[in-house]
Amino acid sequence: MLQQAFNGLVGGAFYALLALGLAVIFGMLGVVNFAHGAFYMLGAFGAYILLSSFGVNFWVALIAVPLVLGLLGVLLERLLIRRLVQLDPLYNFLLTFGISLILQDLVRRQYGVQSQPYPRPSELSGSLNLGLFTYPAYQVFVLVVAVLVCAGAWVVLTRTRVGMIVRAATERPELTRALGIDVARWVTPVFGFGIALAGLAGVLAAPMRAVNPLMGGDLIIIVFAVVVIGGLGSIFGSVTAAFGIGLITALGNLYLPTISQTLVFILMAAVLLWRPAGLFGREEALT
Amino acid sequence: MILSRLAARPLLLALGLVAVLALPWLVYPPVAMDIVCWALFAIAVDLLLGFTGLLSFGHAAFWGSSAYVSGLIALHSGLPFPLAVLGGAAFAAVLAVPIGLLSVRLNGIYFAMVTLAFAQMVYFVVNQWRDLTGGENGLQGVPRELFGMDLSDPFIFYYVGLPLILLGMLVAWRIVRSPFGRVLVSIRDNPARAQALGYPVERYKLLAFVLSAALSGLAGGVFAISHGFASLHDVYWTTSGQAVMMVVLGGIGTLWGGTIGAALIVLLNDYLATAGFQEIGIVTGSIFVIIVLVFRRGVWGTARDLVQARVAARRRTTTRLRTAEE
Amino acid sequence: MKALGSVAAMTAAAILAAGCGGGPAGGGGKISDGKVVLAVLNDQSAIYADLSGKGSVEAVKMAVADYKAKYGDKAVAKTVEVLSADHQNKPDIANSKAQELYDRQRADIILDVPSSAAALAVANQAKTKKKLFMDIGAATTELEGAQCNKYTFHYGYNTYMLAYGTGDTVTKDGAKNWYIVYPDYAFGQDMQKSFTAAVKGAGGTIVKADPTPYPNDNFSTFLLKAPTLNPKPQVIGAMQAGGDLVNLVKQYNEYKLRDKGIGLAVGLMFITDIHSLGPDALAGTKFTEPWYWNADQQNRAWADKFQAKTGKRPSFAHAANYSAATQYLEAVQRGGTDGSDDVVKQLEGHKFQDVFARNASIRAEDHLLLHDVSLAQVKPSSEVKEPWDYEKILSTIPADKAFQPASPACKL
Repeated sequence: MLQQAFNGLVGGAFYALLALGLAVIFGMLGVVNFAHGAFYMLGAFGAYILLSSFGVNFWVALIAVPLVLGLLGVLLERLLIRRLVQLDPLYNFLLTFGISLILQDLVRRQYGVQSQPYPRPSELSGSLNLGLFTYPAYQVFVLVVAVLVCAGAWVVLTRTRVGMIVRAATERPELTRALGIDVARWVTPVFGFGIALAGLAGVLAAPMRAVNPLMGGDLIIIVFAVVVIGGLGSIFGSVTAAFGIGLITALGNLYLPTISQTLVFILMAAVLLWRPAGLFGREEALT
Repeated sequence: MILSRLAARPLLLALGLVAVLALPWLVYPPVAMDIVCWALFAIAVDLLLGFTGLLSFGHAAFWGSSAYVSGLIALHSGLPFPLAVLGGAAFAAVLAVPIGLLSVRLNGIYFAMVTLAFAQMVYFVVNQWRDLTGGENGLQGVPRELFGMDLSDPFIFYYVGLPLILLGMLVAWRIVRSPFGRVLVSIRDNPARAQALGYPVERYKLLAFVLSAALSGLAGGVFAISHGFASLHDVYWTTSGQAVMMVVLGGIGTLWGGTIGAALIVLLNDYLATAGFQEIGIVTGSIFVIIVLVFRRGVWGTARDLVQARVAARRRTTTRLRTAEE
Repeated sequence: MKALGSVAAMTAAAILAAGCGGGPAGGGGKISDGKVVLAVLNDQSAIYADLSGKGSVEAVKMAVADYKAKYGDKAVAKTVEVLSADHQNKPDIANSKAQELYDRQRADIILDVPSSAAALAVANQAKTKKKLFMDIGAATTELEGAQCNKYTFHYGYNTYMLAYGTGDTVTKDGAKNWYIVYPDYAFGQDMQKSFTAAVKGAGGTIVKADPTPYPNDNFSTFLLKAPTLNPKPQVIGAMQAGGDLVNLVKQYNEYKLRDKGIGLAVGLMFITDIHSLGPDALAGTKFTEPWYWNADQQNRAWADKFQAKTGKRPSFAHAANYSAATQYLEAVQRGGTDGSDDVVKQLEGHKFQDVFARNASIRAEDHLLLHDVSLAQVKPSSEVKEPWDYEKILSTIPADKAFQPASPACKL
């Protein structure tokens, strides 16, 4: 039971990294990035390509791939997203939907749809004794990284000036702009950061999940549901909801296998009925 | 001048009718049927997106659930197929009520995400409920029953199925041109103002959502009867994406633009199937990107703007000439 | 306007009906339209593209070339055309394309069609148009069950064969207690049913069978549960396919269940899956294989030819497409005509051997191809001598045991 709960948290770690990126991007740009799942997939493929073509190991990939994808995100923001930011956010939603189709198909064209092999890093191939139960070291590592990244993001957001601006822009956009704070110069770096997080999640996924072009497509819909539950305007809410949903789906798999797939959506419906802005969202963020 | 402008509308309507009636002569009849079904689906999506300002990314739930319900009615009751399709559309409308109630309170982008998530839920239910839906085998062998007529020829079926589609289009057109439609547009443009004027905004949105779902269901039902089966693909989220793409390509808020978008996409898919060209995702993705970036008014919107600009220019010249004469 | 349109339409319908009146279905006529047209309709751009896709088109072309070389001037089918279409794994496109191939392109037979919804839709078209359809890519037993028809043949493999071979042989080899995890949709449920029957038939016990979500990227719940079951299962029978299977196996290794004495048997495994995971991840796993390219000299010789054309080693689906096209052309040759009813007559009950199908026969009752299949095991990478050399063949499952008895639900 405890072990199952732990395993739920590991699943939640992936949701958390993706939801965090999605939330900060939405906060700063008002853009819901449909291509987030595609960047997660690119992260995993980045690790695979580095290993298979250049012999670069997991640890380097863990740093390099998010950096490169972050830069790619910066380019994407500068070249395309920026042009549409003044318009209805729907246009950027559609733009990123198109981009995700292109990225997915480019990878498929090169590597096919079959999954690609990626081994666990040898340093983490063992199991750890966590007192009450033993658990694969790699999964413990994934959870630790995700928690550290989320905690790090939290510190940056609450303790630094940049963080305050991002948080203010995310949670009270009109007020921030009204106060004459220059949000614009942080837009591009934040977008790059969000994409880098998706890439990081992808690299982390490579050793334990199937690496194929379709791996991000279905995941992104669940992450959408996660951020809706947490409250799209709330960074804290998205991360909390991510771990919560991870936990609930793991237990759902165990006790209610037939509905475990719809569980997250049923939960979303329930939350919407009760608090339309999500658990931690503000009502005014809706309009 | 005025006379010619008044004449333009019936002329356009007549041209459209001729095009629809001639379609199965120009393209392979089953493909022609696909085009008109998708056209109605796109119009239904545009009713919501273009005229109410709500982007639904989950309309596959209505198209697809109606496809299954129409198929089930036709398969098990032996009723004439138009009744089966109307049953499917009614089901889609009923399904839209709870989904709509939960989602219309949210604004644009939330709305898109939430409808997408609900549609995925419908997909899971259809997949799981195997005894009824056949799971991933699909609901096969759906008959085309109409007073014992032989409708096996897709060319004939096109003309028999078409009235249902035209009925749906007529309803959409009436909605847009009714006072109700004008309220929707004012909600789209300024919800706060509409609220202040005393319109129950959420109820209007919900009604638009349900109507749009019913029309999507009508299209999905005819589609299922035309193909003789319903499959999981009908309720999958890519189907929602394709409908939105048709609207965007044709022109958001143009109503009829969706028909152009539908024709282009269906023909493109049909062409790509035998072109020996495998990069379908790259092509469709690029269409999205290009349209959204540089061609936001879509095919219909751009054409209409061009025509209107020319008319305006001509009017300007005539006025100028007249002033000069005076 | 409208009235005019419908008059025109009715005239057109009349003309069309007259045109079709001749009907290609009847026998007698030698070769319809002076040529035999084979159409490969499959997924060339989505999830089945690697397993079958364009490689199968190439395989069918090889079959045509071999047929011409074999009969030369005596060939009944003087002109043979091979068409191909990509259904993008969308059943509605498969359905429209199948109609168009039969009606407009004059296809005499459609081959392959992976994924069950598409396959069953095309089977219905074959029935209406009275043209042949040999399905290779879909695994559903519905094709030879309730939805069978006179013009449809199922060629290569199905869920029963996959489940039965593995369940039966692994149980007889000593693994009595099973924990089955199956994806909760039609394919998985079918597999689970056949698997359970096979295990019980061989004297084994199903400790537990759990449905898993589909698609799913986290199987930890079930893998953690396995060692806690009572009695402790000796094997996990995994019925997942494709990406889900890869996820499950990666996580199975993560928890080191093999070291805890819990083996892994897989319902549906393609050679492309082994390639994805790397042989070490799966080493020792047993599964049923319809055909393996390196099983013997004959297979290998054909695989070399295939590789020369495509640069890849063939999957079983490629070989099955080659075989299906060959058997179709042979039937045309024997009957002297491509009339559908005559070809069906030639195929029903026909016994043959070819590179894909050994000790093969086409069962007249339900049009299912029966042939010898193998129980295979994944090699550890230390034993892999060349690219794609991943499998060791443990035993042959004879044709009469490998497939289910004809279903009473099928009435041709």
